[in-house]
Amino acid sequence: MLVVYQDVVNIVQSKFSSTEVVKCIHLNVSPVNESWNEVHRILALVECNSSYALFVFITKKPKPSSISDLSVETAIPIDSNFSCDTEPIDNCQSHIIFIVSFRNRKLQFKIEIGVESSNFASEVIWSKEVSSSNKLDFNWLGKYTCATLDQNSKKMSEMSDQCSDIPVLRHQLAHGQAASNRESILRYQLKLKEPEYTQHQEFSIFVGTWNVNGQPPSVSLRPWLSCDEEPPDVYAIGFQEIDLSKEAFLFNDTPREAEWLKYVMDGVHFKAKYKSVAVTRLVGMQLVVLVNSKHYQFVKNVSVDTVGTGLLGKMGNKGGVAVRLELHNTSLCFVNCHLAAHVEEFERRNQDYKDINARINFRKQPPSIKDHEHVYWLGDLNYRITDLNTNQVKTLLARSEMITLLKADQLNQQKERGSVLLDYTEGDITFQPTYKYDLNSDHFDTSEKARPPAWTDRILWRGDGIYQLAYRSHMDIRISDHKPVSALFRSEISVIDQSKFRRVHEDLLKKMDKLENEFLPQVMVDQTEVTFDLVKFREPQSREIIIANTGQVPAEFEFIKKLDEATFCKDWLRITPFCGTIDPGEKCDIKFEVNLERELDKVYDILVLHLKGGKDMFIIVNGDCQKSCFTSSMATLCRAQVPLLQMTEEQRKQAENMESRVLYSIPRELWLLVDHLYRHGLKTRDLFESCALSDELIRIRDWLDYGSLDPIPGSVQATAEAFLLFLSFTKDPVVPFEIHDACIAAANNYQNCRLIIQQKMTDIHRNVFLYICMFLQEMLRHSNDNGYDAKTLASLFGDILLRDPIRNSKPQANRGKANFVYNFLVNDLSSSLIPNK
Amino acid sequence: MARDYDHLFKLLIIGDSGVGKSSLLLRFADNTFSGSYITTIGVDFKIKTVSLDGQKVKLQIWDTAGQERFRTITSTYYRGTHGVIVVYDVTNGESFANVKRWLHEIEQNCDVVNRVLVGNKNDTPDRKVVLTEDAQRFADTMNIQLFETSAKDNINVEEMFMAITRLVLRSKQEMKERQNITQNDTVNLRKSNKQGKKKCC
Repeated sequence: MLVVYQDVVNIVQSKFSSTEVVKCIHLNVSPVNESWNEVHRILALVECNSSYALFVFITKKPKPSSISDLSVETAIPIDSNFSCDTEPIDNCQSHIIFIVSFRNRKLQFKIEIGVESSNFASEVIWSKEVSSSNKLDFNWLGKYTCATLDQNSKKMSEMSDQCSDIPVLRHQLAHGQAASNRESILRYQLKLKEPEYTQHQEFSIFVGTWNVNGQPPSVSLRPWLSCDEEPPDVYAIGFQEIDLSKEAFLFNDTPREAEWLKYVMDGVHFKAKYKSVAVTRLVGMQLVVLVNSKHYQFVKNVSVDTVGTGLLGKMGNKGGVAVRLELHNTSLCFVNCHLAAHVEEFERRNQDYKDINARINFRKQPPSIKDHEHVYWLGDLNYRITDLNTNQVKTLLARSEMITLLKADQLNQQKERGSVLLDYTEGDITFQPTYKYDLNSDHFDTSEKARPPAWTDRILWRGDGIYQLAYRSHMDIRISDHKPVSALFRSEISVIDQSKFRRVHEDLLKKMDKLENEFLPQVMVDQTEVTFDLVKFREPQSREIIIANTGQVPAEFEFIKKLDEATFCKDWLRITPFCGTIDPGEKCDIKFEVNLERELDKVYDILVLHLKGGKDMFIIVNGDCQKSCFTSSMATLCRAQVPLLQMTEEQRKQAENMESRVLYSIPRELWLLVDHLYRHGLKTRDLFESCALSDELIRIRDWLDYGSLDPIPGSVQATAEAFLLFLSFTKDPVVPFEIHDACIAAANNYQNCRLIIQQKMTDIHRNVFLYICMFLQEMLRHSNDNGYDAKTLASLFGDILLRDPIRNSKPQANRGKANFVYNFLVNDLSSSLIPNK
Repeated sequence: MARDYDHLFKLLIIGDSGVGKSSLLLRFADNTFSGSYITTIGVDFKIKTVSLDGQKVKLQIWDTAGQERFRTITSTYYRGTHGVIVVYDVTNGESFANVKRWLHEIEQNCDVVNRVLVGNKNDTPDRKVVLTEDAQRFADTMNIQLFETSAKDNINVEEMFMAITRLVLRSKQEMKERQNITQNDTVNLRKSNKQGKKKCC
């Protein structure tokens, strides 16, 4: 269960009405956008009647302490226009960018990587997920977007309890996210499993506090610091008023710091060596933390901070100084304070205490005092004995009526009331009040003021497994008007068992590996090899395969290009759909459609079916192809003595390799088509415009390829279309590609055009060209019936006879090509005919 | 204290069809074995994090189709690979004879890469045809470490994967050291840092 700053959640919740529930918040968010000021933000996910919204709050403090610290900056409805994402920051391990996009706005926030951020992101993504299915009503957002804030009754939000095994990871993976923040999940899980690899080891901790009244050190501190038989493992020594000079107050600079440190080092227990972990000071308050040097290597993440609560609420004459550290696997915090003086100022003291708590920020995890496992609070707390005068106190002390006196102690009273040090424990006080003494004596203040004695100097603690062994004052140190106080603790520190830790760590890694593998997209295909029936020219056929998502996450699939290939499949294949997403347990039919428009012996390709973030599968597509005159070269066809499919393999090979004799001046098939048109189609209106049925064309194709004694099948229009198709798909265009430019250049002059076809074209190509032109001239003689004029035919046939190498690359008519053909439609061709036999 | 991993390496398993590439991966990553043979048609991968010399190494291990007809395509998956595991079947002499071709394939597609040679199915002595001595001699001439494994009986699998990981880790560290030397020699060569991130291939 992740309760992140429940107190702040409550404050944020108080901004909303009872039907609007704060699901989750994120503190310490800083906007990346430059136009935003450098103020702290809090993000909050709020739900109302199943619709969610993301709120951005401006807050005066990093951690707001009241409702007035917060104001709504933006409210973003989480609807279909909403999306969020994260992005790493270059050279930054600790933070990431959290990106929120909605409609045409994009907000970017810098957030610290951790449990808080991964939990928050998961919640937001989840809310988006559930939102997409519902009908959403965002009317409730209206009042926030126009700044009239409704402050309604509070309602505690209940965070969803996720105690299952590695919940965050499952959650994220289930939403198709890569396990990008495995690290923070691992940290979180290791924390949960701490009892499995740690054991308690007892450490003795000596805590001392002394208000030295501005006196320089002059006596040994041994009677105070070395009063116990055995040396403690840790020392935390707090001083107050080490320097009362103006310089110290104004410039926070004093030679006394080093002097007192030296006296401390000289005064510690002689049976052990100590190393300084931290020394911190604010004006007169100094805190020294030492550890037995054998423990020094187990001290980590040391940090200090100081807070002034004196003059103007911030000067360092009063306040607190604190040190935090981790000893083995336990976080410790020592706070040395000097709170406001005077009997009647107890409320001021309470406030000082609260301010210290609120303002100490170690800039480490955790940043504040209260989040440490062990806290020791020491210092001159300055609480007095009330309602008793000096004489009464002295009399009670003389009679050892401690209970009466301690009842009159302000700290006990305020603590009882819950106004200060609420969760802290203090041991029984059995020693004399430590204030105020005449200097160099054990007599209580005999001056005119004769202040009543008081237990101003105190030591309290908070945390599990802390046992106080001693709590005492040290009367024989007499240089100050206060007596030093010390407490000895036996504290249970959690120590990592390295071998157990390694095992737990590795187990976790194994578990996370397993999850990561489990949550990789997985699909099965019902066949990995797709075989087509005999593939024939322009006779499409299709096959279907089924992709089934057998994994636990949505699978995004896509057919991808192989290296060095421009497209993911060959031009003879069409895949629908070629990409998509399949939900777990769902299936998707993929249709492969083959359509052959060029000469191939067989179709064969290996397709790569890629799963985003997962594996690739290969799917083989193959099929044998049937030869057709439509895709053969004219040179081959002129060598074919029988229809193509009646030829033996060997005859065909010879013809293809131009090894056999040329038998016809033009392909037989072309002659058959044109002859049919000549006989039956000259007078047909719009002969070339009609669209034949593909079935008819297939019958004409087979009639030509197999040969038949029957008349040509289908309508004359179908024959006309077959004629155009024939010219469009033969392996080589009638006018070779390489002379197209010359043809277009010569188009203005018939003689030049004639020269080109005489000199630059092979006999077969020239024969075909002239043959077609003569037929078209014949067509023009019947213009009145068929409706064609020379210009129309020239532009229709210009594009076909002078075909581009890549089909359909420029479908628009090329005027130059049309002009070239035009010459041959309007001039006498007899002089161009050079018989080749 | 607890980082997810210190290194991320990509390993590739290649070798003839049916030698047990997928089984080796399944044994190493999931510690399971399936007797039924399903030929891999494509490339698949699994994640496995291992500890080596106190460092966490996350391995992304790619299992490839071994069939001849996929060879051109699978060779495109060699890119960015840190280590290659070449597998043959000790009960199938032809698969051992083909190892040379697979090694050649690596040379063609990678610049510098760490390799190990693996004779799998080393669990039925009666059926063994590729003798250890012959394989060892060949491995020595090719300067490649030999492992005889059984994915079925879980023999030597872990050791083999750890060995290739160790090779990759060592060559990464060596490269880093070389770079440090170059960096010390030349003043303010800021770009050399970026080159250091390049993969072996």
